[in-house]
Amino acid sequence: MANKKRVIALTALAASAAMLLASCTSNDTSASTSASAAPVTLTWWHNAIAGADGKNLTGDYWQKVADDYTALHPNVTFKIEQIETNDLQRTRIPAALQSGDAPDIFQAWGGGEMVQQVNAGYLMDLTDKIPAAIKELGSSAAGWSVAGKQYGMPYTFGIEGIWYHKSLFDKAGITGTPKTMDELNADVTKLKAAGVTPIAVGASDKWPAAHWWYNFALRSCSTDVIQASNTAFDFSDPCFVAAGKDLQAFIDTKPFQDQYLSSKAQQDPTSAAGLVGTGKAAMELMGHWELGQYEGFQADDAAKATLDADMGWFNFPATSSGAGDPTAVLGGGDGFACYKDAPAECADFLAYLTSVDVQKGFAAIPGNLPVNPGAADQIASPQLKQLADVRASAGYVQLWLDTYYGTNVGGAMNDGIVALFGGTGTPQGIVDGMTAAAATQ
Amino acid sequence: MTLKTNSRRPVKGPTPGLWARYRAYLSRTGLSPSASNYFSIGVAIAGVGLTLGPIIYLVLGGFKDLHQYAMNPSGLPDPFLFRNYWGILSTGLFWRQMLNSAFIAIVTTVGVVILGTMAAYPLARYKFKGREVLYGVFVAGLMFPLTVAILPLYLMIHSWGLVGNPFGVILPQIAFALPVTIIIMRPFVAALPKELEEAAFIDGVTRIGYFWRILLPLARPGMVTVGVLAFIGSWNSYLLPLLILAGDPAHMTLPLGVTAFKGQHGSDNTAIMAFTSLSMVPALIFFIFMERRIVEGLTGAVKG
Amino acid sequence: MTFTTASGKGNGPVVGAKASAAGPRPGSPKNKQPGNASARKWAEIGLFVGPALLVFLVFVVYPVISAVRYSFYKWNGVKQFSEAEFVGLDNYRRALFGQGIFKKAYTEPFLTALSHNFEIIALSMAIQLPLALLVALILNRQFRGRTVVRVIIFAPYVLSEVITGVMWFVILDPNGIATRIVEALGLHSPAGGWFEDVHWGFWTMFFVVSWKYLGLAIILFLAGLSGVSKELQEAAAIDGASWWQIQRRINIPLIGPTIRIWAFLSIIGSIQLFDMVWVLNRGGTQGQYSTVASYMMDKGFYRSDWGYGSAIAVIMFLISLVVAIGYMLVILRRDNSTTAKN
Repeated sequence: MANKKRVIALTALAASAAMLLASCTSNDTSASTSASAAPVTLTWWHNAIAGADGKNLTGDYWQKVADDYTALHPNVTFKIEQIETNDLQRTRIPAALQSGDAPDIFQAWGGGEMVQQVNAGYLMDLTDKIPAAIKELGSSAAGWSVAGKQYGMPYTFGIEGIWYHKSLFDKAGITGTPKTMDELNADVTKLKAAGVTPIAVGASDKWPAAHWWYNFALRSCSTDVIQASNTAFDFSDPCFVAAGKDLQAFIDTKPFQDQYLSSKAQQDPTSAAGLVGTGKAAMELMGHWELGQYEGFQADDAAKATLDADMGWFNFPATSSGAGDPTAVLGGGDGFACYKDAPAECADFLAYLTSVDVQKGFAAIPGNLPVNPGAADQIASPQLKQLADVRASAGYVQLWLDTYYGTNVGGAMNDGIVALFGGTGTPQGIVDGMTAAAATQ
Repeated sequence: MTLKTNSRRPVKGPTPGLWARYRAYLSRTGLSPSASNYFSIGVAIAGVGLTLGPIIYLVLGGFKDLHQYAMNPSGLPDPFLFRNYWGILSTGLFWRQMLNSAFIAIVTTVGVVILGTMAAYPLARYKFKGREVLYGVFVAGLMFPLTVAILPLYLMIHSWGLVGNPFGVILPQIAFALPVTIIIMRPFVAALPKELEEAAFIDGVTRIGYFWRILLPLARPGMVTVGVLAFIGSWNSYLLPLLILAGDPAHMTLPLGVTAFKGQHGSDNTAIMAFTSLSMVPALIFFIFMERRIVEGLTGAVKG
Repeated sequence: MTFTTASGKGNGPVVGAKASAAGPRPGSPKNKQPGNASARKWAEIGLFVGPALLVFLVFVVYPVISAVRYSFYKWNGVKQFSEAEFVGLDNYRRALFGQGIFKKAYTEPFLTALSHNFEIIALSMAIQLPLALLVALILNRQFRGRTVVRVIIFAPYVLSEVITGVMWFVILDPNGIATRIVEALGLHSPAGGWFEDVHWGFWTMFFVVSWKYLGLAIILFLAGLSGVSKELQEAAAIDGASWWQIQRRINIPLIGPTIRIWAFLSIIGSIQLFDMVWVLNRGGTQGQYSTVASYMMDKGFYRSDWGYGSAIAVIMFLISLVVAIGYMLVILRRDNSTTAKN
């Protein structure tokens, strides 16, 4: 273990030295200032959990990344705060930005929220500061750019699809994975006949249910309509209502577990992740991180290995109609942004954090999916490898719609979708709620 | 509580002779103490069961591991596993968060009781122009919950550099607990015999001297009651600490600690149950210790 | 809380407005002091009230006034407030009189949340009050373990909402112990789950709230009963009154002021109910047990719609104020006039 850490530290050192060289040759002035000796403390707010019992989790890794960076740049020290995601996103960051005394580096999810932060003038424009690092991340960085300028750097970007138990599919006599909604519906029927809950959804948390609609919308609406919809906020295209109707038809086949409105996404054994993790439900629509969640419900390493071998993954099926690209996928990630008044070292640190070798260390943590293509070979899990391939070959990658539209329209959308799941909403109601919210922002 | 009717006449404790006769009457009329007591005890047991049942379930859940919990959520732990509890108690964080909660609650309580009683005195005893308006301003504070003012409050505390500082929580908590304190203390102070005050003034005691030397000791039952309320309010408060203290677990109070723990041990429900059970303990101990003081305070107020 | 005690001068709690309207109280001496004594008096008043007033103005009044100011603006809480757009009463209109898609998206959920608050008030009076009173009357006697019972029944009141919420979530989980018990009895648990079922969610929430706050009512009533003169009860008993007659004619009327003050606190608490509802799932996925405060947080602040959220806060304040003043004028006034008669 100690050896491994040292190796990572060494490679990280080499990587950052290489990057310094690279950025110097590209006439990047900020990099040279970062080498100056004036002491700088960077405050850093992130949501990654550190392992309480010596687990190697992302939170521990960020501490190590900071320590390594300090080793390379002795003038730069860090003050790190780990904050729970909801608190961080909804209260701490907005309030800190308001007060004019924000942390230098903070979690950024991209999309509509970032647009608001950029419009308010809170974020540092990274475009000309770390061009090489931005270029290295490729298309995945696009979600953290506004009007052609880069304001944040993602460190992970995953896509979602449907996780399933191969053994339960076998039990129900299902061969292969469904490519179309018709096939999925047939599989649902077979699973029910075999006494298995076909699909788990954590509707109590709203967003896991909402993602079903996102996927139907992505199949129903053309890429152009989706792309235009977060600037004009015009949802009058009938494809949005059609997505709700498709979802309604699907809900009517009763594919989900009993009392799905009460199930959380993760955490307890009766959550959606718990139902799949304990083999009670066969499928779940969820992001790349879910395998790690399923593993959390296994008693020991042997059970984990059995589960890992049993879990498969397939892309959201194609619908019979709709203008969407059938290979388009939804995805999202986490990144960091620099506050406008942050020291120049902040940008350099983000470049370091997303560099190949730091990303390799990140990818070595189970369940993590790096964003830097250079680190892809570090992904151990076959399912995550498959996901990375699908991401690379997808016709179009759309950011989670709630993130994409921002908290206001996104929140209205999720509320409308859950109401549809609960039987009190309508396909038109979802779109009306979004339109109303857009008119007030 | 209340009962003005009696407070004009000093009410002595129940005279044993009378009480005995009352009980004798009860038995005469068929409502014998034993029969009606059984009924009372039945109600008491039902109430206790409904109250303690959920809490015991939570405590027992903490003795299971995740596998046991998934297989057998409702039964007794088999075997009892102390891992969850020991894991929490053996790390310093739980104790640290308990100390944070205690410090914040104690300073808040002392502040509220002193400031509130001080303000209640002139509001009850001085005649001055605008007194009722001033009182009305404090009372109106009761109608405005903290949620309403939270963002401006945060911005202000942030600009004073008090984020992450316990006093960033304590000062607003004192302010928001003042209305109820003043509402309780004003009639309480007003109920103290006026003759006492007049006698003190004749003896040359100043108003301030009267306040410190005579009023404060006399007002103690009321102060204990408002103090206990303020303490409980502070101990349980969530939204304000969430904004001011979140971030570093070492600065958190216990309710925040519970949610943070829940976030960190997402899939480990039994550990969450253990942590939640443990974080109940200080409040319950405080309460068992103080419950008599509350009732004393309440009855004291009645006898005023 | 409580303590009307006894000034005997018609100065009950929370009745500032009334007392001032009534002019100087009988027997209050006119300002007899000479000038410098008056200055001294004001200095003393300042010394006593000043610190509390300062803390109150800075940490309550100023933020509240800021919230009122926000309510007239369209502000996403991200940009600086100075750049927010003034929209007059638009936010209020959207909450109360929205038309078309706004009616469905804003006004109806708001009115639903508001109606929940009033349902909670009504249910508290119809269910919590009689239940707490009955338990208090039954427990108002000597029996072994009485103190322990009182302590235990009161205990939920001191538990924080977070802890109570987490606890009940575990118990009322779809596959939790509550569901198992109900199904063992041959019944069905709500189709959407205890909290999330559109029809049952509100009742489940009311049950959890009652679990936490019923003990407070019982203890308040018991404390009130402990002050009722035993001589009176005894005298009635000698006159041949039954247990129930004693309760109905003596105990209940005599703790009337306690009951009315509990009711006042319960009403204000019901209008402002937030922590518990928020910790259980933010008012529910479909707002089935939302309250005005949870609606404010969920649809206002969590949606970066700060102006709108502030308008909801102001509406909530106005409702509390009207209800409180009305209650004081109509109900608590009686207590004061009753006192005068005594």
